[in-house]
Amino acid sequence: MLADDAACNSRNKFPGCVYPNAGRGIDLYGDNIEVDYRGYEVTVENFIRVLTGRMEPSVPRSKRLLTDDRSNIFVYMTGHGGNEFLKFQDNEEISAFDIADAFEQMWQKKRYNEIFFMIDTCQANTMYSKFYSPNILATGSSRIHENSYSYENDNDIGVAVIDSYTHHVLQFMEGINKTSQASMQELFDTYDFDKIHSHPGVRSDLFGRDLKQALITDFFGGVSRAEVTPPLFHVESPQSPPQFDDPHQEVPAEPVHPPDQTTPELLTPYELFVSQKQLSDRDARRSLRAWLAIGILVGLVGFVGSKRTR
Amino acid sequence: MPQSALMPPSKWYSHLVLREKVSIDDYTPYGTRAIFRCRVELDFEGFGRDASHIANANKYMKLPKTGLWQARLEYPKLPGIAAKQAHRDQTQVIATSKSLHTLQMHWGVPFYLFLSLYGSLVLGQNEEFHEELTLRPLRDGRLASRFSFTTLLQGATPRDPETLSMEDDAQHYTLFPLALGQILREYAVTEMHLTLNAGRWSYDRWGYPDEHGVGTGAELWAWMGDNNITSHNIDQRWKGLRNALAGLFCASLGSLDDQRTTSPELTFSPEGSLPRWRSSHQLRHGTLPSENVCTENLTPFLKLLPCKSLSGIAGLLNPHRLFDADWHGLGVHVRYLHRKGVEVRLSFQAVTDPVRYSLTGKRDWSLRSVFDRTIDRTCPVARSSEIRVAVPGEDSITITPDPSSLSPDYATYRVSETTKPLDISMQWAEEAKFEYPHDITPSPLTHISVQRTLKGSSQSQGRLSVVIRNHLPITIQTSYLESMPWLLQFYLHSLKIYCDGASRDDLISIISYIPPVPHSRPTLLQALLTLPPRSTLHLTMDVIKPFLRYTEHPPDAQRGWELPPAVFIPIIPGDKPLTHDKNTSLPASRLDLLQLPPRKIYSPTLLVDLATPDFSMPYNVIIMSCTLIALIFGSVFNLLTRKFLLVRVNQDKVAPQPSS
Repeated sequence: MLADDAACNSRNKFPGCVYPNAGRGIDLYGDNIEVDYRGYEVTVENFIRVLTGRMEPSVPRSKRLLTDDRSNIFVYMTGHGGNEFLKFQDNEEISAFDIADAFEQMWQKKRYNEIFFMIDTCQANTMYSKFYSPNILATGSSRIHENSYSYENDNDIGVAVIDSYTHHVLQFMEGINKTSQASMQELFDTYDFDKIHSHPGVRSDLFGRDLKQALITDFFGGVSRAEVTPPLFHVESPQSPPQFDDPHQEVPAEPVHPPDQTTPELLTPYELFVSQKQLSDRDARRSLRAWLAIGILVGLVGFVGSKRTR
Repeated sequence: MPQSALMPPSKWYSHLVLREKVSIDDYTPYGTRAIFRCRVELDFEGFGRDASHIANANKYMKLPKTGLWQARLEYPKLPGIAAKQAHRDQTQVIATSKSLHTLQMHWGVPFYLFLSLYGSLVLGQNEEFHEELTLRPLRDGRLASRFSFTTLLQGATPRDPETLSMEDDAQHYTLFPLALGQILREYAVTEMHLTLNAGRWSYDRWGYPDEHGVGTGAELWAWMGDNNITSHNIDQRWKGLRNALAGLFCASLGSLDDQRTTSPELTFSPEGSLPRWRSSHQLRHGTLPSENVCTENLTPFLKLLPCKSLSGIAGLLNPHRLFDADWHGLGVHVRYLHRKGVEVRLSFQAVTDPVRYSLTGKRDWSLRSVFDRTIDRTCPVARSSEIRVAVPGEDSITITPDPSSLSPDYATYRVSETTKPLDISMQWAEEAKFEYPHDITPSPLTHISVQRTLKGSSQSQGRLSVVIRNHLPITIQTSYLESMPWLLQFYLHSLKIYCDGASRDDLISIISYIPPVPHSRPTLLQALLTLPPRSTLHLTMDVIKPFLRYTEHPPDAQRGWELPPAVFIPIIPGDKPLTHDKNTSLPASRLDLLQLPPRKIYSPTLLVDLATPDFSMPYNVIIMSCTLIALIFGSVFNLLTRKFLLVRVNQDKVAPQPSS
């Protein structure tokens, strides 16, 4: 999601390029970038729709987050923000509650396995303070009531090209390759106030794993492993070679094989039913409790009220 | 790897294969048996947007008497798919009886046949790919370059929308872009043109462009067959097409909604032929002038080419240089040519300034200096690969290397015949430094020239003014199209025409006018203008600027709204008419319009400043009203609830002391 066309803006002295430092070593825009949401399409609504997957049927695949419960998602956000909000397009903002609820919805819809949430804005750590869904690791650039600062200016372009925190993380990531065994803890250990000029925060209480075990490559450019699985179906070779000579030979029809349903990962209809039943039981108990509480409350109020009038 | 670490096969199945399709191409009967030729098409995730695999299969089979036919196909190693997919060497495919409708006469005859498969890629016998680059030095020292990549799918026909509810034929392409082909079939598009341009084409300095669609921003128009099925009606498909193209080309065409869609059939007549179907064809057209064009649009564009940007002429498409050009635009044109097939033409057009790149201020150029690349390899699948360099007649010019053939106007290089790397260069030997032409109004390169401005500083009304100059010594006509969002509404009764100062309202005839509906429908004004010889026509019309709802404003509301360009088509008597195919389903009244040369002239876009509210107003109102409510409520509450009592004060104590 890119709200501004920085690369091809006519005020950019280097067309089609976005550089993260004044030395212009790395071109972030490159030769074959693809942008899925740009310009006015970058809105809070679209962002939440991408996360939660609530889309119109005609929205193309490239504009969807096609993840499931085995996907690790990295969410990086940057921009102008403040205490529990981040601005989108200068006229609307997303709050920490919005993101937390969207992540919870994703969890309930089994849209992620783990989320690594990184945010670089002023008072960034407030943005992840409202998360309540499991398996989320969050890090931000600055504490509440603290600013995040930019790293350096490019005098040819005339603007600050990168933020201090992002620059620092990028420096660390440049040393990581696909087979790296570096863990998240190592990344967080490199945070240094003297370099970043703000206090980056980490929230790992929702994250189920030890940070020393969580590899950076679990979220960034991991190697896709080729895993050979046993074949799904066995193709029987024909019992007898086809006999083309006898047109009158009656051959019993080969039974149509239904799709193999004994794979371990598939829930059988019974299991599905049980899990749904448990779910509905739990829901029923919950609503019963809620009604009970409301009843007690009404009773108490009535009691107090009647005492008063007497 | 331990067995427990393996992913369950069903997971792989759903993860990797997005779509699979089996079709029966044809069959050869042998008495009561038959050999069927099947094709299996698999789309894999993780191989880019258009990764797909097509396998051929010969299958000897029997048919059960039920409608569902099921068979297992075994894949040996699929070429081109890496080890990641090795697990998927066996799969199950199901073809329904729909794809077997040709086989029904053989039902009931038992076939007992044997399975043999090979995973070879289908080689295209009926697809042609041509690539061409035209380079044209312009008189202001710039260089116009036009890339054109044409793929012809011979014998193909567009999909009839009546068949949308049925299963489609399988699509097997070698050179034809599959990602685009799928969209065209899915939404039954007969003809489609998408252009994404940045900058303003200067007709006065550069003449007519080689590709006519040069309107600023995004423009999409499509001819689609109409049908009566509500789930697949033309507006649904138009919306789907917009969204699909937005996804494919990373553009924000999704916002080209009904508020910007019109059907200007006079100006955008089909460039190919329209098949004769039961229902007629309809046009949908929309423009989005504020669209940016950048690397993310070029990336998917290059992926549609058979050689990507690895070899051939497409290797010159270097985003860092193209987006530095003074004008650049890309286009995708799909049309159906009767008796030939479906043609997809991908074009890229740029106007670069060699004088700006040159240290000495000369206009000499070479492929290396303009694109920062040379042609190192030929694209092996290209049927023809040509570079044509326009040779200006007036100067002493040297072109290196020697062209393959030379005509008075063009030097042509056939890329396959030249030595590599090919770096064509053109030098003006006698010119020490390029002198910009001093003539402010040089001899016109186009038949007419157009200026369009929006006058008036008010935020509620204004005046649209169009100035059209006829450069020819004869009377000509031109069509005039305004397809305006409801952000600007015309007062058509105030339309006035002045020809060289004199009022001449007879020179315009309005052909169609569809008034706007605020918040939903744009204006469409199509007119025919008559231009006397060497005259200047002034056309003025009062316009009003409506108020927008608070939520309809863009994030940068103070910048204003870009309005789409007006489009003119000059009709020059004696000009070579457009070749016209008789096998079209167009009504006879429109046949004469097909004779128009498709030389469109786009006016520059306009920026309209609409009344914007103070966006902090709601907060001010809330704060203000809360304060007022608090004040009023507080005092009223006080008055109502406070008891006013006379307090008796002890007279003795409080009584003033007698002064001493």
